[in-house]
Amino acid sequence: MVTDSGGRDQREQGIALAARRVTKRFPGVVANEDVDFELAEGEVHTLLGENGAGKSTLAAMLCGLYQPDEGEILRRGRPVRLRSPREGLAQGIGMVHQHFRLVDRFTVAENVVLGDPNQARILRRGEIEARVAAISEQFGLPIDPRARISDLTVGQRQRVEIVKVLYRGADVLLLDEPTAVLTPQEAEALFSTVRAMTAIGKSVVFISHKLGEVMAISDRVTVLRAGRVTGEVATRDSSASHLAELMVGRPVEMETRRGNTTGAPALEAHGVRLVDGDQVALGGIDLTVAAGEVLGIAGVAGNGQRELAQVLAGMTTPTAGTVRIGGDDVTGRGVTAARRAGLAFVPEDRLGTGLVPGLSLTDNLLLTRKRSFFVDRRRARAEMAEAIDSFEIKTPGTEAQARVLSGGNAQKVLLARELAGLGTDGGPSVVIVSSPTRGLDIAAAEFVRGLLHDARLRGGAVIIVSEDLDEVRSLSDRIAVLYRGSVALVGAADELTVAEIGQAMAGVAPEPQEVP
Amino acid sequence: MTVQLRLERRLEQRWWHAALTPVLAVLAAFAVGAVFLAVEGFNPITVYRALFEASFTSTFGITDSLAIATPLVVTGLAAGVAFRMNLFNIGAEGQLYAGAIAGSWAGFALGPSLPGPLAIAAVLVASVLGGVLWALPMAVFKARFGTSEIITSLMLTFVALYLMRYLIFGSRSYWRDPAVTNFPQGKKIDPSAELPLFGSYRTGWGLVIVIAVAVAVWVLIRFTRPGYDMNVVGSSPAAAAYAGISALRVTLFALLLSGGLGGLAGGVEVASRAHALDPNGLELGLGFTGIVVAALARYNPFGIIAVAVFLGGLRNAGVALQSLPGDRVPVEVSLMLQGAILLFAIGAEIFVRNRLRVVRSAAVAT
Repeated sequence: MVTDSGGRDQREQGIALAARRVTKRFPGVVANEDVDFELAEGEVHTLLGENGAGKSTLAAMLCGLYQPDEGEILRRGRPVRLRSPREGLAQGIGMVHQHFRLVDRFTVAENVVLGDPNQARILRRGEIEARVAAISEQFGLPIDPRARISDLTVGQRQRVEIVKVLYRGADVLLLDEPTAVLTPQEAEALFSTVRAMTAIGKSVVFISHKLGEVMAISDRVTVLRAGRVTGEVATRDSSASHLAELMVGRPVEMETRRGNTTGAPALEAHGVRLVDGDQVALGGIDLTVAAGEVLGIAGVAGNGQRELAQVLAGMTTPTAGTVRIGGDDVTGRGVTAARRAGLAFVPEDRLGTGLVPGLSLTDNLLLTRKRSFFVDRRRARAEMAEAIDSFEIKTPGTEAQARVLSGGNAQKVLLARELAGLGTDGGPSVVIVSSPTRGLDIAAAEFVRGLLHDARLRGGAVIIVSEDLDEVRSLSDRIAVLYRGSVALVGAADELTVAEIGQAMAGVAPEPQEVP
Repeated sequence: MTVQLRLERRLEQRWWHAALTPVLAVLAAFAVGAVFLAVEGFNPITVYRALFEASFTSTFGITDSLAIATPLVVTGLAAGVAFRMNLFNIGAEGQLYAGAIAGSWAGFALGPSLPGPLAIAAVLVASVLGGVLWALPMAVFKARFGTSEIITSLMLTFVALYLMRYLIFGSRSYWRDPAVTNFPQGKKIDPSAELPLFGSYRTGWGLVIVIAVAVAVWVLIRFTRPGYDMNVVGSSPAAAAYAGISALRVTLFALLLSGGLGGLAGGVEVASRAHALDPNGLELGLGFTGIVVAALARYNPFGIIAVAVFLGGLRNAGVALQSLPGDRVPVEVSLMLQGAILLFAIGAEIFVRNRLRVVRSAAVAT
């Protein structure tokens, strides 16, 4: 909704940062079109939208990382041209990125002053550390200025990023999906910090697609869809379901679907350990998945999900323990043996691991198929053409390179390949899917969830590894929570509460099932 | 108002982008060469016309160009099969020497006791094995430990060069012809092992063989599992690991294939032109030129044939330029052009993947 400009002029004093009719194009896409945005002083203003809606692009323009193709950015009512994040910081605008920009081998204090143009050539460590400590005290960001980044957890690293922009004197902070990497408890602590900042007049742009936290933390919400603003509302006048409607254009609900957990075990993992040097990636994991069942693996990113998926898929040999697929011991026998035993795997990195970007869709279909000396493209091409039809994959054709696929279409190609022949003789019986719907739009995500449900009904044993708790809860028959490489909690999805799962994700479960 | 030039990634690469690049690279190289020629006091147009006429207008000119192109096809393939996987075996030169050493040995040691076609086959097979053997350390260290193949292949080239010189100049080795006493020469291979030429021309069956090899390489890459695996490993090692394709084995295979092709170039040279291990005759830089051939052809086997013929002509013309009336044009002109072509071909790659856009934007007051 466009705010009328007459009102703006009167309030200009109170507007910390604004974007007026900005448009940003990238080759082939309009990331932002005619976007208006206004951040009042002392306000928490959320940019809400699905992945790809243009939130990060708008934030990047607000902080100086990108320059708008059209329109202008206003700082306290005056047009400014921010040619770099450094110029943004000089204007008091600082961004905390989703992917941290920290030097692992430097200390917290060193990272904080890194690239600071006002810094003297010789570091006065004592002074810097004292100021870092004062900032972390004031805003509730407990952090040791002398700690090395490599020793910090993800949540602590995020605090360093926040301290960094505060240290430079920013009074407008842009937080790009800050809770994506946090446990529910850490997220709560972050919200306290945000409140402490707004209490002294700083303004925060909060970027998120999680409705619950958006309602909890923001004063106002600007909703983006496909690069355009679909609404600007005050949180107190709105509701989560209203925001969801603005976000996706129609009301959504994630359907709860269940299968049956009484089938014969299709995949069994016993005491799976993976140790790399003195890093325990997996600390003795026991899991069983039955035919016709979906097991959801939940957890905050980086707690062993990736390693577990790779061990189960035969890509990594575990230090100890066994993996059985359909009764065959495939431990350490490699990908081909695991696939022969009935495994299919959709990795989280779709383009680059699951698909070869430089090869055609037809060739990509052959990637995990049985090998013969001469490559039989004729059959693969027909199969791919059929999949394009039935999965509604948007692509120029079977011979197009995989690199041109969007996230949703890439995932459809992967699932078409991996789920082919499921439940039939010689087809797969166990399907592992990592981050099934990450980065997908609502329609594609729903399609993928439908496919996974269908795979279960066809008798497949399905493992989904996902950080999206709602998704895990909506699809899984049983849920296992990973924390620091161990199963912190496992149980029937209908019997576990969100609070229990959240605690397990944060590592405060009373009785972890396995101790590393 | 500011005007900016901006590179943007092309969403679609059309086939003619790939085809146009080498053509433009060649034209640009000739333009740069023209400047140097003009500075030196030559009329570039006269020189270029003479160059073209020397290589491509008479039957003898064409066949001489094809004779030089023959080994270039194989060294181009040697570089091409590796480079397209981002494996930079730049040691085809050394592998060619190794192939020549092994091939000439087969020619005079086995040749006399074998009938014609078998003797020729013995030379070619031996030369392939020589090249494979020479590439083995590079391939193993790259595949197993990730050692830079650029360094190892280059260093091994010097080892091969000096080994070859030692065999002929530095010792009374098995390769040296004992009958010749004034200037050391390699032992002649048995006539049965010589690849026949077409009539009195300098090109012959060697050309047919290298074209057949190019077709075989194309079939291998396009239609077989090893070729498919090479595409996967070259494009995305993570996907290879995911699919259970051993990057180690595929890397070994690709580098040894590359080395074998480099060796084959040595065998072809011995069987069709030198007829002996000839350390001088081999110092043409055929292996290094193969890199230019492969890059300009964008690693396509058929493109490699075409580019090899073109560069063969250029090199052939370098010699012919000497006989131009008036001041002699230095033979280095053709080498300089070749180098410039490579630079432009590599530089132009960015325009195949990206397009240049002129951006005009109104400056915003701050």
